[in-house]
Amino acid sequence: MGLAARHLEANGIPTVIMGCAKDIVEHCGVPRFLWSDFPLGNSAGKPFDADSQARTLELALRLLESAPASRTTVQSPLRWREDASWKRDYLDLSTLTPEKIAERRKEFDEVKAVAKSKREGT
Amino acid sequence: MSAVFAEDHDVPIPYMQRTREYYLALGFRPYRWAHFVEAPFTPLRVPLERARVTLITTAAPFQPEAGDQGPRAPYNAGAKFYQVYSAPVDDKPDLRISHVGYDRVNTVPEDINAYFPLTRLQEAVAAGRIGSLTPRFHGAPTNRSHRVTMETDVPELLRRCREDGADAAVLVPS
Repeated sequence: MGLAARHLEANGIPTVIMGCAKDIVEHCGVPRFLWSDFPLGNSAGKPFDADSQARTLELALRLLESAPASRTTVQSPLRWREDASWKRDYLDLSTLTPEKIAERRKEFDEVKAVAKSKREGT
Repeated sequence: MSAVFAEDHDVPIPYMQRTREYYLALGFRPYRWAHFVEAPFTPLRVPLERARVTLITTAAPFQPEAGDQGPRAPYNAGAKFYQVYSAPVDDKPDLRISHVGYDRVNTVPEDINAYFPLTRLQEAVAAGRIGSLTPRFHGAPTNRSHRVTMETDVPELLRRCREDGADAAVLVPS
């Protein structure tokens, strides 16, 4: 998505990215980024919470209108939960036993094969 | 203002580091993320109240033949797509994210509005906050190959945005 935003912007179309992966989006370097500190998959606000979604969109629109320069990140003030322990879960290596590693490796190889055949079929 | 500091782990999740360490532990070569120091900038030239806005997503249209794409589906590479697609905004699109690596521990993607803000954008148009939406939204493939993304997908997205007369784009990765 970062690459798309950069290309549109370079060709005269202003962009704003709404996202959750702060390090990845900022590593790419994008014009405007509204960051929600939520689990990946909730770039547009909390599920079944129209107010959270509307506030998230409004921040993105304000950013689109008013960013003073490129690489402007705004952090949404909304919290996923008061307690931040959910942040430990994503690809948590401490839960990986050698058996699990072998299993995940096999799954990954299978997934790659599926993606490859699908890609080559299109 | 509270004098109690937040917990030390309450920081942006280092996704690149975690992914790198995870794939190394599994014995795979680390992925290299796109990285630039400078970024282009184009100010919004039309007031938003008169602007035509387009929506770009990485979510995939539901494909009945492509296996489990439900909210509790494991990662489903068979549901991926490899070409830019476009669909009318007025048709209540059914888009899923089983083909990407979202946080499956903490998220059950049962509400499309949490990753595809079309309804909220339509409300913003109705409220006069945005001039209009383009008649189509656009889907961007989540291709691992930066070369394909840069040479094929991204120019195609630009072409479609221009065709639709978009004044601005809201991009929402899932």
